[in-house]
Amino acid sequence: MDAPDEDARLMLRYREGDGHAFAALYARHKDPLYRYLLRQVRNAGAAADLFQEVWSRLVATRARYEPRAKFATYLFHIAHNCSIDFFRRNRHAARSHHADVHSPEPEVPEYQRPDGMAEFVEQQSALLAALGDLPHEQREAFLLHEETGLTIDEIARVMDVPVETAKSRLRYAIRKLKKSLLPAPLPDARPLRTRTI
Amino acid sequence: MDPHDDLEEYLRGDSALSRQYRRDAAAATPHALDRRVLGAARVAQGGRPAYLAPLAFAASVLLSVALVLAIVFGPQRTKRAEPAPHVVHAAARVMDAARVRAPSVWLADIASLRRAGRTQEADTELLRFRSTYPNYPITENALATGVIVDNE
Repeated sequence: MDAPDEDARLMLRYREGDGHAFAALYARHKDPLYRYLLRQVRNAGAAADLFQEVWSRLVATRARYEPRAKFATYLFHIAHNCSIDFFRRNRHAARSHHADVHSPEPEVPEYQRPDGMAEFVEQQSALLAALGDLPHEQREAFLLHEETGLTIDEIARVMDVPVETAKSRLRYAIRKLKKSLLPAPLPDARPLRTRTI
Repeated sequence: MDPHDDLEEYLRGDSALSRQYRRDAAAATPHALDRRVLGAARVAQGGRPAYLAPLAFAASVLLSVALVLAIVFGPQRTKRAEPAPHVVHAAARVMDAARVRAPSVWLADIASLRRAGRTQEADTELLRFRSTYPNYPITENALATGVIVDNE
């Protein structure tokens, strides 16, 4: 990396004790990170816990930070590790995590079933529903690109996989998600209710 | 359709898929989370979160009250806490012992006084020396010449 980007400069200032730099970094990355975690684990409570864990790890390791790569890569690598830990803690999700990209859709983990989704109140569009149906490796590749603008190489670095694997995951995600953009059939016309006086 | 082309088109940016995702995915971080994360970061850096301010105020009020009570009732407590006379004397003896010079140093001082012609002071010091170290072997020649042989 030639020169630290703006985020890396902020992180370096924070490393030296500038609390305002942390607040600025937080403001720049909180929403993409929150959406990434929310769509990954699909549970608002779990996403909130992971969100705090990611920032806690960033705070705890700030003294060791070196701007070797784009800051978003650093931050989302922490997030990736936190979400992996989360999936490992969930037996059903672990099965999904190790599934091959060609495997059929995984079983819905327990934490994603309706009772666990009580707090996940955002209105689900067809695209978001399709995103939720993806194997989470494919979903993660898509989210990393959409939420942070990371390149394939950077996505591979965040996910600790070869570049070709990252590319393959993103490719399959796009293929499946594009299908959700096809126009849905119009709903049946319902007869007007009339009232006679 | 060749999936490779899908990927290339998508990575160029501004694909229909990306536009739709940005329209649909509008979730923002809850404010409660903002407060928790920023508060935790402040604490980690050594600062105090805002909600601790009232606690700090209460603590300073308690400290002030405690100081007032200590001033009002303090002297009696101090008197009661004074040590007994025999304890004070024992402590004084220990302090004196600590101030006593080592024999070689003391004898060298006596020799210096003699060489300087301060004979009376030298004799007084010699008496104190002998009472402190009654068995210490010492020659008058040594005291006269100032050549002290350390017999310690």
